[in-house]
Order: sequence, then C-alpha cells, then structure tokens
Amino acid sequence: MASSLHPHSLPASFHPLPHLSRSLIPRHSNRKRSTPIVVRSVLQWNRKPELSGETPRVVVVTSGKGGVGKTTTTANIGVSLARYGFSVVAVDADAGLRNLDLLLGLESRVVYTAAEALNGDCRLDQALVRDRRWPSLELLCISRPRSKLSLAFGPKALTWVVDALRSRSSGPPDFVLIDCPAGIDAGFVTAIAPAHEAVLVTTPDITALRDADRVTGLLECDGIRDIKMIVNRVRTDLIRGEDMMSVLDVQEMLGLALLGVIPEDAEVIKSTNRGYPLVLNQPPSMAGLAFEQAAWRLAEQDSMQAVMVEEAPKKRGFFSFFGG
Amino acid sequence: MASIPTALHLPRIRSLPPLIRIRFLNAAAPPNLQLDSFSSKLVRLRSFKIRATDDSLDTGDEKNVEERAGIEVEGNGVHPQRIALSLRASINTLHAPFLRLKRSNFGTKYSLGLCIALAAIVVIVVRQLVVRSRSRERQGSVADLVRRGQLRSDRRGISKPLRYDDPFNNPLVKVGKGDSTVEMFGKVYRLAPVILTKEQQSSHQKRRSQVYQWKRPTIFLKEGDDIPPDVDPDRVRWIPANHPFATTVSDIDENLARENVYQKQGAPFRIRVEHEALQRKIEALQNRQKSNKASTDPNGARDFGSPINSKPQEQLETNPSADQHHGQGTAKPDSDEISLTDELRNF
Ligand SMILES: Nc1ncnc2c1ncn2[C@@H]1O[C@H](COP(=O)(O)OP(=O)(O)OP(=O)(O)O)[C@@H](O)[C@H]1O
Ligand SMILES: [Mg+2]
Repeated sequence: MASSLHPHSLPASFHPLPHLSRSLIPRHSNRKRSTPIVVRSVLQWNRKPELSGETPRVVVVTSGKGGVGKTTTTANIGVSLARYGFSVVAVDADAGLRNLDLLLGLESRVVYTAAEALNGDCRLDQALVRDRRWPSLELLCISRPRSKLSLAFGPKALTWVVDALRSRSSGPPDFVLIDCPAGIDAGFVTAIAPAHEAVLVTTPDITALRDADRVTGLLECDGIRDIKMIVNRVRTDLIRGEDMMSVLDVQEMLGLALLGVIPEDAEVIKSTNRGYPLVLNQPPSMAGLAFEQAAWRLAEQDSMQAVMVEEAPKKRGFFSFFGG
Repeated sequence: MASIPTALHLPRIRSLPPLIRIRFLNAAAPPNLQLDSFSSKLVRLRSFKIRATDDSLDTGDEKNVEERAGIEVEGNGVHPQRIALSLRASINTLHAPFLRLKRSNFGTKYSLGLCIALAAIVVIVVRQLVVRSRSRERQGSVADLVRRGQLRSDRRGISKPLRYDDPFNNPLVKVGKGDSTVEMFGKVYRLAPVILTKEQQSSHQKRRSQVYQWKRPTIFLKEGDDIPPDVDPDRVRWIPANHPFATTVSDIDENLARENVYQKQGAPFRIRVEHEALQRKIEALQNRQKSNKASTDPNGARDFGSPINSKPQEQLETNPSADQHHGQGTAKPDSDEISLTDELRNF
C-alpha cells in the first residue's frame, strides 16, 4: 500500500493558500500538482441540493469492519435527504443484528419485513415503515431479529425489492440506502447486489482501513465504481498532536473521494438512545452538521474539496518556520 | 464536540463570586458618589480594601478576624467582643465588609445591602436548582430509553419533541473570507485542500484489482448441496447449515417469491392460499352437512362460520394500527384470523 507517511518539503509550485503560514500546510502537500488548488467552501447552506444521477439512486453503506458507524451514517444521511425533500427508502440489510429501526426510533412500528414480503405474508408496501416526522422517509427491515432469514433466493432478494420499489405506483424513491452488515459474508453479498454506488464508512485507524480497502476491492470487482468514503469518529485534537491519522492520511491510503468527515461526538450515543437521528438535534451538533453536509454531497454526487483542520499550536509554527 | 458544553458552563460559574462583590460595592457607595469619576476611584479603592479583607478571611484565620474586627470597631464605640462573637457565628466572609460599612457612616445602607446580598444568594440558589433540573431532563439520557420502552424500570423524565431548524440556514457555521477558514460553534478551523488526484485514484483501483479478485456469489447453497448445472462454482456462497440467522431452505420457489415482492395490491399470496383452503374446507363441510342433515354435529360448522361472521367489527378495530403502510390497501394481518376476514371482505 502507498501508505507511508513522509516528512518533506514543499515543491516550489505548490501554493494552495498563499496567505497561510507554511506551518499550516498539510504534510501531504508533496504531491505533484500542476494547477493551483482553489479551496471551495466545504459547507453550503443557502440552497436546496440538486439531485443528480438516475433515480432511484441505490447506495449501499458498507465498511467491512463492524461498529464503525454504518447504521449511524445510514440513519442520519437518510433523514437528511428526507429533510432536503427527497424520498428515501432506508433498508436495514443486517439480518442478524438489525438496529437501524432503533436509531430511527421506529422499532415499535416494524411489523413486517422483507422476509415476510418474499414469503407472501404481506405485500412489500406493507413492510415499509413510514417515518411520521419525515413522511418521505421509509424504513424496510430485511428480517425480524429472532427469525431466520431465508437465503434460498440468494442475493436476488434485495434486487427484487429494489426493482419493485422502482416500479411502485407511488413512484420510485429518489434514494434507496442500504445499511450493510459488517463483514463480507452472505449478508454483505445480498446488500451490495442491487447497489450502483457505495458509501464506505471507516474510522481513522489501521484495522478499519485494511477492511475498508478490502471491501472497496470487492465492490470494484463487482462493478461498483462510484465509491466515496466517510471518515467517522475523527478527533481533530488527536490529529493535531499527530496521535491519530488525519483524514488526508486516510485518503492517501485508500485513494477514495471524500463524502464526509464526521467528528467523534458524544451526541451520537445520546441520539441513539433517543431514537432521534443526530441531524434532528436542536441545537445542532458537530457530527450532525457533518452528516447533513455528507448527505448534501451525496445528493449532488459531489465530494469534499477541503477538510477542516484544527489550527496548529503557535509554538510549532515557530519551529516549522525554520523548516521543521 | 464534548468540550462545548463545559466551555459554556465554566465562565458562568466562575463569574458568580465577583458578581456578589460588585453588588456590595454598589450598595455601599451612595448614589451621588457613583456619578463622578473621582468617587468611582474611591469605590475602587474601597473594593480593593474589601477584597483584601475578604481574602484574608478566606484563609480562615479566625484570630486575625477577631483582632481586626476589634480594632475597627473600637473607633466607633461598639462593643468589640459581641461583634467578634457574632462574626464567628455568621458567615464571616460576607459580613466583614458590612461591618466596615456600618462603622463608616453607611449605617442606613446596611439593611439594604443585606437585602441585596440575600437576594443574590436566592438568585444563585434558584439558578443552581434550575440548572440541576435541566440537566436531569437531559435529552438522549437513560430517561429517553425509558420513554421508548427499552428500559422498563425507573420511569423518570419524558423528553419533549424537538422543533426542527431550517437545514438551509445555520447560524452556527460561518465560512471565513477567502474560504480558507470556517467557524463552527465558535471555533475556527482551517480548511486544508484535498489533494487526491484522478491518477492517484485510478492507481489505487489498479492496485486493488490486482490484490483482490472476487466474483460476487449469485447463489447461496447449504454446505453439502449439489451445485446446479448452470451455475458457476465460483459464484456459489456456501452457507453453513447451522448459520445463526440464515437458512437456505424455503418452502416457496424463486418465481413465487419474486411475484410476492412485486405484488402491488390485493391479498398477499399466503393469505390468499390460506383463505382458499379454508373456503374449500367450509364447502366440504357444507356438502357433508347437506348429504346427512340430520346426523351432523352443528358445532363443527359453527367453528368455521363464527370467525367469518364476527370479523367485520374486529376488522374496524385493527385498522387504526395500519400506519405501517400508506393508507390504502388491506390492513396488516396480525394473525391469520384477521387476515382471513380481511381477505373474505375483498372477495
Ligand atoms: N461520530 C461518532 N462519535 C461517537 N460515537 C460514534 C460515532 N459514530 C458511531 N458511534 C458509535 O459507535 C457505535 C457503533 O455505531 P453503528 O451501530 O452505527 O456502527 P455499525 O457500523 O452500524 O455497526 P455494525 O457493524 O454492528 O452494524 C455506536 O454505539 C455509536 O454510538
Ligand atoms: Mg449496523
């Protein structure tokens, strides 16, 4: 892997931010670049995002490693997209350990799942749970927590579901977000089967990154080329002290476009407890804003052009003045 | 981030003691003195004095207190011992300045000052109580789990629903001039440009395509099953027979399952089948009833007839809970009985 972190000097042609002192320029800036970089604002608030691409956009949220925040991401991006005015079907494809319903606070309203629809116990539209807060958001769970999912139809089951949604009478949804189970097991295969694009969630640590690279490789083998990553649980204070990989380090290792950077935020667990996705928090939280922005970019098929960095301490600036 | 609430809290708490001091001063200074700059200087001097005594008192050196009280009071002709005693009895930090005030001809203001001090204390206490109660009904706490029925015991607070802010207008985020900084929640961040190029991206893709070679499985088989003839063995995923939450057996075939998922209206397949089976049973029973009218036990017919006849009311009751789907269509069958009547109504 091209993952070595190198100390270096800047090439003369590199002037991304002329008014910033040299100490503030990221360590990665030794990459050759012919055109000067224009830092675009990472945040947009003053207009509604434009939906780009063919609908329904079928997006799988995956990670390889467990517990890095796939479900959190699906819930928050799903609610954000619904808030932006798009119709969203969030699919919990985690057969054994479903918890998207909990994060959305819809656990008490899940009566039927896709498994029952396949089995003929209900129609697919009866298995969709509409969120009362944002009626354009619907949840579909793939199976009940304590029942066994029939894998007899293999990965085709979700493909049928997406096809059925595409041709449903109330019109196809704008987004189908699939919350993928951890690992690269049968559940993973089922979840990625209908997807055209992927959101890869990772944390800035080496174990998550190796799994993420593997999963990206598998997705690419399957023909899913549009893969963007979300780096979750980032602590800018640790990055500043070089105790944690920076987002740009992560990007260097994976070579994927950035959809979002989510800071570590205690509000995440609180919002899980409440069954209220973070993006609905009042007052807003850092992580909530970051998810909202990620949803924005997802809708516009955009990626981050700049990342937020905590200001370096003044002392280090002095030393780096001498080339340190 | 986690540091935000503390950042908001600390200054408020710290600011409390100075507030008290300032109040004393204002009470102490007569209104006419407060107006000109000279007197404000005086007040400042006085405040210095007060604070000095205040500080020494904080150290808890009681003898020192007694002594000073004695010395100061002597000049005014008040009994020193009694005051020393009362001093010891009361909160000495707060009362020392008042003692000085009384002696130095602000006697009329004494009670007023005391009132203000008491009011300040009341305000502080009330504020603390408010803060504490507010933190108790904190959102996202265990109380919310209780509200959602995840925790049964310990019914505490119930959080009120949120109001949603406009996602297109966020005052907590300010993008700096030249787009090189952004201020979020009062903290300024620098924007570092993303420097991943298209070539780097494709070289990573190339690397991965060499490292990982994979064909997505298109069929899941139980370990030990035979591979169907038209299936590429590389595309088979073997599921262990004792997989905790998956099974490869299904009692319906693939085409039927697909039809079920694609079905847009009407009764779901299984409910229709069950209903038809029941109807056949009833018909058979009725036929048998016709053939030997006299000898049939009427209870048998009632067993099948009664759920059908009694269902319409039950149907109405279950309908409100049909919020899982979007209004139209049949109600979700909670049990086979309900779905049956549902089905029968459609026929
Ligand atoms: N940005 C964050 N800050 C703090 N905690 C977080 C953050 N993101 C996720 N978490 C916590 O990490 C835990 C796992 O998150 P989540 O369930 O979303 O992961 P997952 O990838 O879906 O897990 P699994 O692989 O089991 O499905 C949760 O407890 C969540 O609260
Ligand atoms: Mg999950």
